[in-house]
Amino acid sequence: MSEEAKFMIGRIYFAIFGLVVLGIGAVEILLGVTGRSLEWGIMEMSGEFLLWRGLILFFAGAFYLSSIKNFADIHQQAKIVMASLMIWIIAGMQIFSMILESIPGGEEGGWFNTFEGFLASYSAPYIPSLFLLPFSLVVLYYIKLQKEAEEPINQWEKEERYE
Amino acid sequence: MKLSVDERWDLIDKIAKQTVKYGVYRHTLKDAIAELTVKPLTGIPFAIAVLYGFWSFFCAFAGFFTDGFFVKLFDNYWLPWLQEVFPGKGGWVYYILVGDPTADNCFEAFGMLTSGLFVAIGVVLPAIIAFYLFLIILEDSGYLPRLAVLIDTALHKIGLHGFAVVPMILSLGCNVPAVAATRTLETRKQRFMMATLLAIFIPCGAQLGIMLEVIPGYVGFVMIYLLVGFFVFGFILNKLIPGRSPEILLDVPPYHMPTARNVRRKLWVRVRSFFTTAIPFVLLGVVIVNLMYLTGFLDWLADVFEPILCGWFGVPKETVGPLIAAFLRKDLAVAQLSAIEMTTYQLVTSVVLVSLYFPCVATFAMLIKEGREGGWKGVAQYLFGSLAALIVVVFLWGGLVHLIWIILGVA
Repeated sequence: MSEEAKFMIGRIYFAIFGLVVLGIGAVEILLGVTGRSLEWGIMEMSGEFLLWRGLILFFAGAFYLSSIKNFADIHQQAKIVMASLMIWIIAGMQIFSMILESIPGGEEGGWFNTFEGFLASYSAPYIPSLFLLPFSLVVLYYIKLQKEAEEPINQWEKEERYE
Repeated sequence: MKLSVDERWDLIDKIAKQTVKYGVYRHTLKDAIAELTVKPLTGIPFAIAVLYGFWSFFCAFAGFFTDGFFVKLFDNYWLPWLQEVFPGKGGWVYYILVGDPTADNCFEAFGMLTSGLFVAIGVVLPAIIAFYLFLIILEDSGYLPRLAVLIDTALHKIGLHGFAVVPMILSLGCNVPAVAATRTLETRKQRFMMATLLAIFIPCGAQLGIMLEVIPGYVGFVMIYLLVGFFVFGFILNKLIPGRSPEILLDVPPYHMPTARNVRRKLWVRVRSFFTTAIPFVLLGVVIVNLMYLTGFLDWLADVFEPILCGWFGVPKETVGPLIAAFLRKDLAVAQLSAIEMTTYQLVTSVVLVSLYFPCVATFAMLIKEGREGGWKGVAQYLFGSLAALIVVVFLWGGLVHLIWIILGVA
């Protein structure tokens, strides 16, 4: 597949993904401001930092959408990377706190959690960022493409060094 | 050998031809990200995400150790064991060292070996480790200087510049190194302003850790309130204090991956130095407050300050004890507040008061040290200037919280 086609697919993919992220962010902001929560299947929008998570997702969505024009341009690619990083921060911290919460035994229990309790701490519902995380990883492919495009410069630098 | 101007330029040309290589510079992805993180439109949302990460990491890490293990260790094992084996129950020594014999948790016992140790080891240590670990990663990755560039415009409005973000963030860990870090600012006016503002408005990591325990749902609001105060009073101080606020040229390093060795070393140095200073003050604080309580001095002070505390700030007179303890350790003071009977709103007001009130004694000593640069006059200027600012801030900003509660109809 030509590079142009790859970038065209990326453009469509991140346009759709950006809209989803922006939409979820907007809903979380609304819920955060009104002090309400929402549970939809295994997805949950609640918690103390809901408003902040919503703001971050909203901006991440806006970054994705604003990068569609001139998608192959390095500055636009940088926006996609930043938007993905913002999703990874929220999702990463959620996974980190789930892991840490699953280890201790709780107020009444022993020092460490039981096996059942340990597994239960990873059960649903999950925050939206955890669902968005795998879809945002597509950016890694485009980082790889960008790195390959940067190679000639590095090659030039190498040649200069050995002269 | 003496060269004429033309000969010198010829020599420069020759050297340049032999040493300088010309080529086409093309932006890499890393360069583009580095640029976007300092542009307000893209940089501010990203900074919000980073600070969210910072805060989430802090809460998760500190909560894991404090709630997961230390609360259990201190409340279920250490406290009952001490209450059982310590001789002279009901006596002065028992009260000072173990505290209330009927207490069932270390927050309420308030003895040097119970609350003192619990606060220092069980609460402060995990909070400080979490804080410094994340800060070092931000520093070493190259993000912190970018945050400085990003916040530069806002800080210019109050006569400071972007690099003031370093003492500001350091201060969230401990005010002592933060006051020392104000030396990086150019003029005496900037150094005084920064030291005063951070001593008043920025709670340290230890205090933040305790605040998370005592008022978990309100910490965000308290922080925003303090941050607004930082800028409002910063603006006023900038207008009142004579002196220059020059521009700076900041060298921003490229992004890179922090090395585990560097992170480990920095973390060890910072945690060690913090802990050797913090523990003695926490323990001393408990002893002094307990002595004042036993001698009846605390009750007398509470009666004297009752009109101000209850009338102006809307908090119970018993908060006198924590306010005195706040001079020694603010984290200790917040822990003490949790043991006093009051409404949630009074508790939030008291926490704000403890934050605004006198800087802890270690910060106070640092203020004196920094003021010494200008001789005795400098010390006096630093101390009296800071104190004057502090008294005004406590009354205005502290009273405003009470007013907000009255307007909202909850006070």
